[in-house]
Amino acid sequence: MGLIKNIGNAVKSEVRDYLLKIVEAEKEAPKNPEAENVQKPAETKAGQPKVEERPAVKEEKVQPERVEEVEEVREKPRKKEIYPISNDLEFVRVSYKKGQDSVIIPKELAELIKMLPLDEYACFVKLYCFALEQKKNYGYWGGTLKRRIGLDQLTTSEFEELGSNLAAYGLLLLEQLTENQKTFVLYVPFDEDTMVKLSTAKKPEKKPEKPVKKPAPKPAPKAKAEPEEETQCAEDIPGKPVEGMENDEMYKSYKTFVSLEIDKAKMRVGRANFDKIYMEAVKYIDKKYGFKVLSDSDKFKEYLTNYYISAFDIPTFENWKKSKG
Amino acid sequence: MLNDIKILMKSLSDIDVRIMLCKSAFEWELLAKKYNALRDEIEAFCASGLPEDVQTALEKTRAYLVEKKGELPPLDLSDFFK
Repeated sequence: MGLIKNIGNAVKSEVRDYLLKIVEAEKEAPKNPEAENVQKPAETKAGQPKVEERPAVKEEKVQPERVEEVEEVREKPRKKEIYPISNDLEFVRVSYKKGQDSVIIPKELAELIKMLPLDEYACFVKLYCFALEQKKNYGYWGGTLKRRIGLDQLTTSEFEELGSNLAAYGLLLLEQLTENQKTFVLYVPFDEDTMVKLSTAKKPEKKPEKPVKKPAPKPAPKAKAEPEEETQCAEDIPGKPVEGMENDEMYKSYKTFVSLEIDKAKMRVGRANFDKIYMEAVKYIDKKYGFKVLSDSDKFKEYLTNYYISAFDIPTFENWKKSKG
Repeated sequence: MLNDIKILMKSLSDIDVRIMLCKSAFEWELLAKKYNALRDEIEAFCASGLPEDVQTALEKTRAYLVEKKGELPPLDLSDFFK
C-alpha cells in the first residue's frame, strides 16, 4: 500500500511539473515573438546568404507595426477606465454677483479635482478661472472657448477628449445642442454669497438624443399670431409688472426664468438665426406699435421680450405659475 | 416754400447717409430721434397734406432705420430682467 501511494505521489508531482512547464512556456511565447523571428534567419544564414537579407528587412518593417498594434491594444482600455469622482454633484448654472479679485477654489472642490490627471486638472482650473472671469459657469464648448482658456496648442479632437474625460469624471456637463454646437456647465460648489442660481442642469444620461432644432424662420409666422395672444397675456410681459407685483418673489423668479429661457433659445438657434429673429422682431414691433416705440428703449425692450416669449414658446407668467403649482 | 422743403429733404437725405454709417445702438437712437423730429417738422410744414414724393422719402428713411436697427447686434436684455 505504501509503495502504491509513493508511486501515485510521484506521478502527481511529475504531472504538476509538466503542466507548470507548459504554462510557463505559453507565458513566455507571446512576450518574445520577435526574438524567435530574429533567430530564424540567423540559423539559415550559412546556407543561403542572398535570400536571408530579405526576411531581415521585412522584419524591420513589420516590427514597428506590431509594437503599435500592441500599444493600441493597451491604450484603448485605458480610455474606458474613467469612473466619476463623485456621482452626486449637482450641476447648477450660476452667475457670479460681481467680478472676483482673486481665484479661490473651495476646499471641497480642491479635494475633488486633485484626483484628476494632470491634463484634465489643468483644463478644469482654466475653465474655473474662465468662469470667474465671465461671471458664469456655463457657455459654448468649442474652438473659441479653447482659445479663450489658453489651450490653443491642443487640436480640436484633443480638446474634445479633455472635455469628455472631465464629463466622465463627473465635473463637467456637456450638452449637444446641434450637430456643431455644444454647451458646457462646469461644476462649482454653490455659494449664496457670491453666486445667483439660474437653473439646475440635468445630467444627459436620460436623454441621449439631440435637442430638437428650431428652424429660424419659424418665429416669423408665430409673430403674426401674436396680436391675438397679446391681449390675453399683456399682463404677463416680464418687463411690465402688474400693479402690486413688483416685489413679488414669484414674479422675480419668473423674470429670471424668462431671461434664462431666452439665453437658452439663443444658444439653441445659434447666433446667426437669433440675429434674424431679432430683425423680424424689430420689423414686427415697428409695424404693430409704430416707429416711435423703436427709439423708446424701455418700451422696445418690453415688446421685444414679449416677442421672444411668443417666438420661443416660453410659458406666460400665468402658465408658468400653474406649472409651478 | 420750395426752398424750405428742399432744406428739409436735404436733412432727410443726410439722415439716410448717416444710417449707412451707423454702427451702434446709441448712434441709431440719435438718428431715430432726429428722424422723428424732422418728420414732425415736415408734417407741420405741409399741414395741408404731404406731397407724394416727400411721403415716399419719409417712408424710405423709416424703412432704412428699421432695417438698420435689425442689423445691429440684438439688444441686451439682461439689465431689463434685474
